[in-house]
Amino acid sequence: MNEIGELRNMGKVAEKSAPKFDSEAKWGLGFLTPWIIGFILFYLLPMIASFVLSLYDFNPAVPDEAFFVGFDNWRRAIFEDEEVRLSLVRTIRFASISLPIGLGFSLYLAILLNSKNVIAKPIFRALFYMPSMIPMVATVLIWNGVLNEQTGWINIIIENITGIQAVGTEGIRWLNDVDLVYYAYTMFGLWGVGGAMIIFLAGLQGIPTELYEAAKIDGAGWLRQLRSITLPLLTPVIFYQLVLGVIASLQYFLAPFVLNRGTGAPEGMTRFIYVYFYKQSFTFFNMGYGSTIAWLLFIVGLIITVLLFGTARYWVYYSSEER
Amino acid sequence: MAEANKKKAVKRITSKRLTDASKKLLITGMALMVLIVFLIPMGYGIVTAVKTDGQFSKVGAPWWPASEGQLLFEEKEYDMFLVPLEDGDIPISLALYKKGRTVSQFVDPNNIEAGPFEWEGNWRGLERDWAYDPQWQNFSEAWETIDFPLLLRNTFLYAVITTFGAVLSASLVGFGFARFRIPFKNVMFLLMLSTVILPNAVTLIPTYYLFLRLGWVGTWLPLVIPTFFSWGTNVFLMRQFFMSIPRELDDAAMIDGANPFQVFWKIIMPQSIPALTAVALFHFFYAWNDFFGPLIYLAGNPEKFPITVGLTAFNNLYSQSTNLIQAASIISVIIPLIVFIFAQRFFMQGIVITGVEK
Amino acid sequence: MKKFSFIMTILLISVFVLAACGGANNNAGENMDNHSNNDTSTDNTADNTADNTADDTADDTADMGPTEVRWFVGLGAGSDEGTFAPQEAFVEKFNASQDDIVLVLEIVDNDVAFDTLATQIAAGNAPDIVGPVGIRGRDSFKGAWLDLTAMIEASSYDLDAFDPGLVDFYHDAEEGLLGIPFAIFPSFVIYNADLFDEAGLPYPPAAYGESYVDADGVAHDWTIDTVRDLSMQLSVDVNGVDASQDGFDPENIVQFGWQNLWTDLRGTGTMWGAGSLVDSDGNAQMPEPWVEGMKWTYDAWWTDWFVPNGAYGGADFLQGPGGSFSSGNLAMIQMHMWYVAPWALGDVPFAWNLAASPSNDGVTTAKMHADTFQIPKGAAHPDEAFEVLTHMLSEEGAGELLLVYGGMPARLSMQDGYFATYTEANFPGSDINWDVVVASMAYADNPNHESYMPSFQETTDRYNEFWNLLANNPGLDVDAEFEILLADLQSIFDAAE
Repeated sequence: MNEIGELRNMGKVAEKSAPKFDSEAKWGLGFLTPWIIGFILFYLLPMIASFVLSLYDFNPAVPDEAFFVGFDNWRRAIFEDEEVRLSLVRTIRFASISLPIGLGFSLYLAILLNSKNVIAKPIFRALFYMPSMIPMVATVLIWNGVLNEQTGWINIIIENITGIQAVGTEGIRWLNDVDLVYYAYTMFGLWGVGGAMIIFLAGLQGIPTELYEAAKIDGAGWLRQLRSITLPLLTPVIFYQLVLGVIASLQYFLAPFVLNRGTGAPEGMTRFIYVYFYKQSFTFFNMGYGSTIAWLLFIVGLIITVLLFGTARYWVYYSSEER
Repeated sequence: MAEANKKKAVKRITSKRLTDASKKLLITGMALMVLIVFLIPMGYGIVTAVKTDGQFSKVGAPWWPASEGQLLFEEKEYDMFLVPLEDGDIPISLALYKKGRTVSQFVDPNNIEAGPFEWEGNWRGLERDWAYDPQWQNFSEAWETIDFPLLLRNTFLYAVITTFGAVLSASLVGFGFARFRIPFKNVMFLLMLSTVILPNAVTLIPTYYLFLRLGWVGTWLPLVIPTFFSWGTNVFLMRQFFMSIPRELDDAAMIDGANPFQVFWKIIMPQSIPALTAVALFHFFYAWNDFFGPLIYLAGNPEKFPITVGLTAFNNLYSQSTNLIQAASIISVIIPLIVFIFAQRFFMQGIVITGVEK
Repeated sequence: MKKFSFIMTILLISVFVLAACGGANNNAGENMDNHSNNDTSTDNTADNTADNTADDTADDTADMGPTEVRWFVGLGAGSDEGTFAPQEAFVEKFNASQDDIVLVLEIVDNDVAFDTLATQIAAGNAPDIVGPVGIRGRDSFKGAWLDLTAMIEASSYDLDAFDPGLVDFYHDAEEGLLGIPFAIFPSFVIYNADLFDEAGLPYPPAAYGESYVDADGVAHDWTIDTVRDLSMQLSVDVNGVDASQDGFDPENIVQFGWQNLWTDLRGTGTMWGAGSLVDSDGNAQMPEPWVEGMKWTYDAWWTDWFVPNGAYGGADFLQGPGGSFSSGNLAMIQMHMWYVAPWALGDVPFAWNLAASPSNDGVTTAKMHADTFQIPKGAAHPDEAFEVLTHMLSEEGAGELLLVYGGMPARLSMQDGYFATYTEANFPGSDINWDVVVASMAYADNPNHESYMPSFQETTDRYNEFWNLLANNPGLDVDAEFEILLADLQSIFDAAE
């Protein structure tokens, strides 16, 4: 909400005055130096160098054998290598499953834990927030165990409660069934909703209660209140989480790597774009090709971000437009 | 009449109180259910961590930690099974001496001198004699095997040093953005925010190669040095906070002849403890859980691994020992949890500061 | 001001770009002085040995005294926990025996060993001696190894002490002699005697050429078909019904009959006949025996139910320190000599022994692993590394190391009497059928199943994906999947130009 708001506003207010290099500016620049140096050294120059590298066939293990290939890598990545397109599609498919569920769940929790009908709210909030502090690697390993089709509790419980055959090789194979694996990965992510939940909570608490009271007087039930008051006023926060979520999905790497070392099991389903990038660059050491993929990823991210911001004004409601 | 009304009023109030109370119970109950399902994997982790090794390879093992009964007979260990001597008998515990498809031999632990006797039936259909036997020492075994003290030390140092760098640089840069009129400030701010939002894969390879030629791959330097050059999100937080501090004190100090740096150090910083704490805490946990950076820069140097990468390597080496893997994961979980329990108020407040600032 | 910053930026960019391209021209052998990162620790995540005296002496910087030789372990054997202590002991003994060289051990887990070594070589920080490394390791780093011919001639090293066929193994037409044979690991069948007893079946033949006499006294040739029949009888469900009988319940299998353990498409296919994925023109091909083998395995996974498929492969009851065989719920595997070691079979609660590999169409192929130690081109101290190498290959050095890695000596003089020592050291009191191991050497696969392929890692990944696809999905058209695989391999080979 915060950063996004800034960006939108800055787009509107242009810098009118002529640049002045007075002493204030000099001091300001002085304070900004760490960032400026960092930006050039670790962002700008690498981006350019990365583009240059993408024009080469480069293996750092035998650097003296690198040779110029022009746009061959680009041609291969865009037109020939199916894997690039496929892994992007997989990433988007995964995001379209995990983002709604994740956002929905954290929103649900925030609303639930904001309700006056829940006793001991601080304890609940703390307990729901707690798992997001755990190192993601541990989360993945523990969930991997719990989703195990033979000895994991999830299947045992499902079978005992509903009688569907869940346990065993003919049961629900969470992590090995191509239809289910994305849902399994989404479950890993659910343990991280704590942060989003708290932000939503803060957003909820920022909604003036008069609105609710007025609605109740007009006879609106809780569902109507939710749809007409809560959700619209929360759209800035939702937008913020959405943008962050999309970008995080594009860089989704940890779970597939820890569980499968990037092989993409089952059947390549978990070879997301970032995993493929990692394999090409750091396992096969095709760093020229890897740079190409990285640039493609950047361009895709840029396009999606611009689209999101562009369409934001149609559904994101800001109570204060001016700054 | 007034009496009746008053009674009705009291009744209405009490019945309202009842419905209120039952609503509270209902919804709290629902929240509790969700919480329990949410936290089930933790329970699984702990229970699995204390299972015996043998449990995994023997079919039909219970879901709770157990060890199979065994009998020492003629210098070899034999597993015990629950065998009904005749159909319909209560099964008794016997040691399986010799397996066979249709006929097997058993030894009665209460009657060892009698030696093995035959029993007709399919031994695979029998239950083993399981006894509750949690192996709490699995935790210490995992602790030692993964060399947790080393991982802990590495992670702690990494988190502390980078947090220090992050907080320092974020304050400096945030102050610059907050308090000064600088040409192209908005452009730079926009650029900084984009580095946060856009995928960073595109900078990875050249940066990696640079560090490779510098000889820094395999050390902590590639991970630590960049944090001293500040990090978009932290800068943003500090900037927001600084902008909310009134300028009067600044101006007063400047009139007295203080230069901006003194203003920064002596006036602004002391007022910014909440934001500094928030940034420090967040960055601390970010560094604690950092995975990708250490993965690529520390590959092959296991004595420098932080907990995240160490746990992954452990998982690869010991994938056969499910109980040890779970034990190691639980151990990795404990420390952040303990810190969280003590510092939770700071966390939740910190998020509120950052999240609500609009 | 603007113009200046513009020029500065251009300059900085050019500097960086030059560094990127210039780095591409640098000699890989350039040794960058890396005091800050020269990591010579002997520790490994799983290593509990506290004895680091060798490490301490090695850390003296700018030491003009003994030369430090870094020994990188992990590409092949040597990265399993049970081998850490003996390797350390070897290093200490060597260091104590002379003053010119300090040998330093670096053990890296096999999973990351390739990446780690590649990184070290790229950084100009190559180790001095790498091993044990097999064919796969050697071919993954094609072009990175030092030609030993000059050093061998200079020291008049006696190559005749080794099996000439094996010496040839390490001779590359373009690159020279890259290694000297150290250990061979023939393969054969290992079987779980207890499971055979339980089923009332006789054990597999102990020697090549022998036939298998079944429970009814009928003799069969020991072919892959016989293996199939036998394995089906040894695959049992929870009710004690085996796969060859009616009423077998494939959803509750508790014991399996056969597996080509810890190998891949090429290793498995080689049991039907040796071949290569690369034809003489450098194009992708799929040898006929391998197609046959894959179909046999596919049926074994999904129709005949005697090999654990993908779903069963991860099951708890098939886990153990030595994989599925050490769990005691698998009857037979085809495996190499390096598996017959304490870390895999040390504590297993069942009786086991070794038997002959089965034949296919009259031809028996028992794939071979051969390991040695090699010196990277970029090594800092190649001469000292060669000295260490000769020590490792000597009767004394090899004698110690072979016990650790479980290999057969390639040095002819050591071959007699070796197995007695080995049994004494690792499985005292047992009667293991070692003859079949020696006999298996005659059936080594040529071309080797780990031989070179373009884009080695990527190709391996791709055919592993094919394997996993088949292992997890019944009802596929295997021929069609082969077509897809070949097409993909061809494009990988093409892109590798």
